[in-house]
Amino acid sequence: MAEAGEEVNSVSEPLDLVRLLLDEVVCVKLRGDRELKGRLHAYDSHCNLVLGDVEETIYVVEDEDDDEDIKARKKKLIHSLTISRKSEMLFVRGDSVVLIAPQSRAY
Amino acid sequence: MSFFGFDSTLHNPAAAGFSQAHNPFAGLSNRDDDADALEFEDTYDGLGDQLDETDDAFNDDTFGDTVGPVSSRAPVGKDFDFFGQTANVANAIEEEHVRFHRQQPVAKVVQSVQQQVPQASTSATAYKFAPQPSSYKPARTGYEKYSQEPVAELQVDAALWGVAPKKQPAPAPVAAVSPAPAQTATPPATSTPGPTGRKMLSLEEVEAQMRAQSKKPVALSPAPQPQVQQQIQHDHGYQYSQPTQPQVPAPVDHIQHKEQSFHPGHGHPVTILQRPQSKHTPPAQPLVQPTAHQRQPPQPPPPQQQHQLHQLHQQSHQIQHIQQPQQIQQKPANVQILQNPNRLSGDVANLGLHAHPTPPIPANYPTHPVHQQQNSFSRQQILMAHPSQLAQLSEEEKMAYMDQEAKRAKRNHKIFLMSRDNGIMTPQDKNFVTRIQLQQLVSATGNPNEHGTDESLAEDFYYQVHNQIQGGGRQHPSQPLNNFAQTYLYQTGSRQGGPRRHNRGPENHMQRMEQQVQRAVEAAKNKPKNKQLVIEGSLGKISFSNAKTPKPLLNIKRNDSSNEPHRPSSSHKQPQHGTDKRSELRTIESIYTTLMKMEDHDRIMPPPPASDADAEAIQRFVAWSNDAQALNAQLWKALRIHDHSSAQIHPFIALLSYRKGKKAMPRIFRHTTQEQRTTILTLIVVNLDSLDVVRNAQVTTGDIQLNAAMRENVELFSVAVMSTLFNFLNELGLDLVAGVLGLVCTRNVGVIAKSKIGVSMLTMILSRAEIIKHGGGGSEHDWRAWDATYGQFFDLIEPSLPHIFPGTVNSGEDVYVWQLLAAIGIGASPDQQQRLVLAVKDRVMDTVALSKTLPQDLASQRLQNVNLFMRSIGLDVELLQ
Repeated sequence: MAEAGEEVNSVSEPLDLVRLLLDEVVCVKLRGDRELKGRLHAYDSHCNLVLGDVEETIYVVEDEDDDEDIKARKKKLIHSLTISRKSEMLFVRGDSVVLIAPQSRAY
Repeated sequence: MSFFGFDSTLHNPAAAGFSQAHNPFAGLSNRDDDADALEFEDTYDGLGDQLDETDDAFNDDTFGDTVGPVSSRAPVGKDFDFFGQTANVANAIEEEHVRFHRQQPVAKVVQSVQQQVPQASTSATAYKFAPQPSSYKPARTGYEKYSQEPVAELQVDAALWGVAPKKQPAPAPVAAVSPAPAQTATPPATSTPGPTGRKMLSLEEVEAQMRAQSKKPVALSPAPQPQVQQQIQHDHGYQYSQPTQPQVPAPVDHIQHKEQSFHPGHGHPVTILQRPQSKHTPPAQPLVQPTAHQRQPPQPPPPQQQHQLHQLHQQSHQIQHIQQPQQIQQKPANVQILQNPNRLSGDVANLGLHAHPTPPIPANYPTHPVHQQQNSFSRQQILMAHPSQLAQLSEEEKMAYMDQEAKRAKRNHKIFLMSRDNGIMTPQDKNFVTRIQLQQLVSATGNPNEHGTDESLAEDFYYQVHNQIQGGGRQHPSQPLNNFAQTYLYQTGSRQGGPRRHNRGPENHMQRMEQQVQRAVEAAKNKPKNKQLVIEGSLGKISFSNAKTPKPLLNIKRNDSSNEPHRPSSSHKQPQHGTDKRSELRTIESIYTTLMKMEDHDRIMPPPPASDADAEAIQRFVAWSNDAQALNAQLWKALRIHDHSSAQIHPFIALLSYRKGKKAMPRIFRHTTQEQRTTILTLIVVNLDSLDVVRNAQVTTGDIQLNAAMRENVELFSVAVMSTLFNFLNELGLDLVAGVLGLVCTRNVGVIAKSKIGVSMLTMILSRAEIIKHGGGGSEHDWRAWDATYGQFFDLIEPSLPHIFPGTVNSGEDVYVWQLLAAIGIGASPDQQQRLVLAVKDRVMDTVALSKTLPQDLASQRLQNVNLFMRSIGLDVELLQ
């Protein structure tokens, strides 16, 4: 079936999957312990992204020099600081993008 | 087994045969057979002991280790002259090169000259100073000489080269400058001797020069000659220009030549002697000048020399000039700086022409045989005094003259320094490089000629759109590039225009460059869109990259046949018509792709053929509409309208649950036929209750708060889809509207009515019918069908009517419901109106009651909403108050 063929064609490269997420809410993981959640408006071959209604979350992990055991550290991580902020529109430079994931639909 | 009776067993196989190296162990090999053990002492032949290692230290001398002890080096002779010999050979190579460039006439001239001047004084001197060119050092300032010795003017008529002057502007300055360094070699103190170090004059030479000096005044006497003649004679010209010289070197050289030719170690000079031409004369000059100069000042010049002085300077300088180009050509022979290989040969041809007539010899000409010979092959009379005759001028004049000369030399030297690298690239080379650059420029920035086409739009969609929005009326999107190209061209033109202004104006060059740009653009356009370009003769591959297609680091060939069976996953894992999210998204993407193609296609729509006669236009139009139809079919297929799957939700309806699916609606309607639109409308209406914006947005009397995403969805749906459908519906006839309403009746009207979208849809349908009624449209039959459908619909919706209001009365978001009620009420029969009022009476009363507690404007707002319905059934809220 031609249609099926087209569909196969449209996934000939990874970014074609990203294309499916256009205008969808995506989770983007960035370098430097940052995550973005927003609507994907545009992308390019460098993974530069334009996101709308973005919520950015920065995980601030405080590195403690003391020799705490792992458990304690884990606890610390869980309670580690997160900074989040919202932007109406965001351009994300591609070299910091680690991961682009679709957000599971609400319904 | 043996031949000829030889006992082969006696033959010692280890013995060395003819042409075999002696094997010191040969004798032992037989012994090995009997002796089991092999003793070193037995096998060692003691040759190592015989080695004399005592003089190994001399190795250093032999192989040039300078660190070796001085004492051991002392006995080694100094008769190594590798470099000198090599230099001689190098010289010969150069000669061969030059000879190759010179053509047949040259050889002839050379031979004739050779015959006439068997002694070949020039060749002898040339040999002596042949290495000189290699020691030529442009780093010298070239000014030293001017502090002591005046030099004639370097003004040269370019015509002397036998070339049109306009072709020679660039080389001329170079040539004019270079004499300076060459001549700086003249002062013995500062001279840079050749590798062979033959700068020093032998006793014979000195004597010869002294003799020559006594004859010199005689040489000076002849009357001046036309300059051109003299120039042509430049090969031997220096001998005329410096009259002392011809007489001096001749005997000396003769002697030397004899010596050398007898000397077995000097095989080389012979080859040189056969080509004593211009190559060697210039280097010889340095020798000539100092001696002449040193000797002449003491000699009081004859009075007539004074007036000849100026002439003399000119001439001698012209000669130098002629020699200079040769020097230059000699140095980087392969580079062809002067770009005029014909010049030399032409020049030589001239020489041949003029040299052959044998002129009368002036009576007072010196009797020296060499001189006579030389004179005989040119009608030129030797008139020159050495420039150093200037010494007879007054001190002031001399100073002024030297000052002037120094200035001129300085200027020339500056020019020389600046133009040192001139001509390393020919204009053709530069153009070639420019072309490549432009080609890349074009391929990187896009073809300016294709603006407005879908190509550029696909490359640069947002810019183009933005540009159209912002720039509006700008005609040429390619303006920036054109400007850039213009600037670039102008720069190149003006830069090259400097030194070459004479041969071709900048305008001409500009034109040429423009042509080249056009050609480059053309080539880039025709060129298949390769990621790489290998231009013939270029150094390596050129990879293009732009934002759209970054430079490929990996070059993997992709199989074009997409339906490969080994293709992993996806296609067959998924149900072909599945309703899973990914396939839906993919469907949407294919819809958008097709839409964009169609939009692009629309842009290139040819104008409809003006007349039937225009066959070509008709054909174009037909082709275009065929394409359009194909695209339409593609779109239709992508919409999956006719995909009847077992899935709960129709695939097309599923698409409408995506934002981008909704947004696509207006565009889809723009590119579909009326029939297709009707189908879409029908499909939507049929599936109205399964639309997510209906199904998942049911109103509840208590809590009106839908989640934000759904509200957004509803909003978007009404903006994108409903408005599209509304516009479409407004063109439909009553029969279709009745049909649509009938479809609604087949669905769960209660669910539909409890959503904003559903209510809007119903309002739309009913009001359309009402508008048709007001317009007097619709046939009797249609109206009867409509009335029947309406009755059915009213019965279905009546039970839901009290529950379709969103939220409580307080929320005040029920305008659309009142609108629906108004639409229902207008078309309702009095009986139906009665039932209608009963169904919504509570809400009406509540709203009226509430409005009394509200501020004035809000209250009137609410009441107006209610009045929409009340007036439709001939009532008014005023009656209730």
